[in-house]
Amino acid sequence: MAFVKAGRAEEVPPGYTKLVRLAGRPVLLANWGGRVFAVGGVCPHQGKLLEGATVWDHVVDCPWHHFQFDVRTGQNLYPRNVYPRDLPHLEAQVRPLETYPVRVAEGEIWVDLG
Amino acid sequence: MGKVARQVVEQAGIDVNVLVDKLVRAAAAEFTTFYYYTILRVNSIGFDGEGLKEIIEDARIEDRNHYEALVPRIYELGGALPRDIRTFADMAACPDAYLPADPRDMKAMLNVLVEAERCAIRVYTDICNMTAGKDHRTYELSLAILNEEVEHESWFSEYLGEGPSGHFRRGAPGASPYVRRFMTADIG
Ligand code: FES
Ligand SMILES: [Fe+2]
Repeated sequence: MAFVKAGRAEEVPPGYTKLVRLAGRPVLLANWGGRVFAVGGVCPHQGKLLEGATVWDHVVDCPWHHFQFDVRTGQNLYPRNVYPRDLPHLEAQVRPLETYPVRVAEGEIWVDLG
Repeated sequence: MGKVARQVVEQAGIDVNVLVDKLVRAAAAEFTTFYYYTILRVNSIGFDGEGLKEIIEDARIEDRNHYEALVPRIYELGGALPRDIRTFADMAACPDAYLPADPRDMKAMLNVLVEAERCAIRVYTDICNMTAGKDHRTYELSLAILNEEVEHESWFSEYLGEGPSGHFRRGAPGASPYVRRFMTADIG
């Protein structure tokens, strides 16, 4: 699938996130250090939207229960780091977010939904 | 519910339903953390564990105090606790603080504790940010709780060797030096 337009670069300034819908899919844009990242916009914990998530040091923090994800890899950082391995039913909660390639050209953000 | 108590918060531009939801989720996190910290404390034994036990107990009792202090404000603002405790537990603003797979691994235990406190700091910072200069009572309460959560984080992170340490232990277990004045029920 080709890149789709996700918005203007100034809509996601450094240190901010924005939830958008691309081809009907919720996608979270996050700007850390001037680079825009795109990840799936639904939190695997309880399936809530990541609208209002914060970003700091490449980590997106879900506003509902503060699960945290690395925007570069989509990996859950917390609570995966403390969830006990002997409780496998918890694994579904700490699934990674999808990550999507991003391109910024002439002030427009483009996301490749794959 | 306090009619004017709620109205003035609305007049200040706060969406009270959103605020109440945040307060209920914060209270749920305190309640579940109190439960999980009980399990962590009883497993805190042995050479490393016995020393850790004391500060888990302080944090455990203070989290219960936070729950107690939040509940009156929820009802003043026209909110309510869910009728079903399962709903309440699932709403908790922070992840469950499970006992590690190896309960004798005190470093794993400390990581659970320090991460739980970090989550609590995020929760109360968010509520403080939302209420600052607008809802004075909720702000003061959240700030008092935040003060204790910040101390809890430092206790556990210093135990992990991130120091030097600026604190000394509470005079009595779970003394809640900041939240105490918001506790209208007897705390002994
Ligand atoms: S829905 Fe995101 S942390 Fe719970
Ligand atoms: Fe607490």
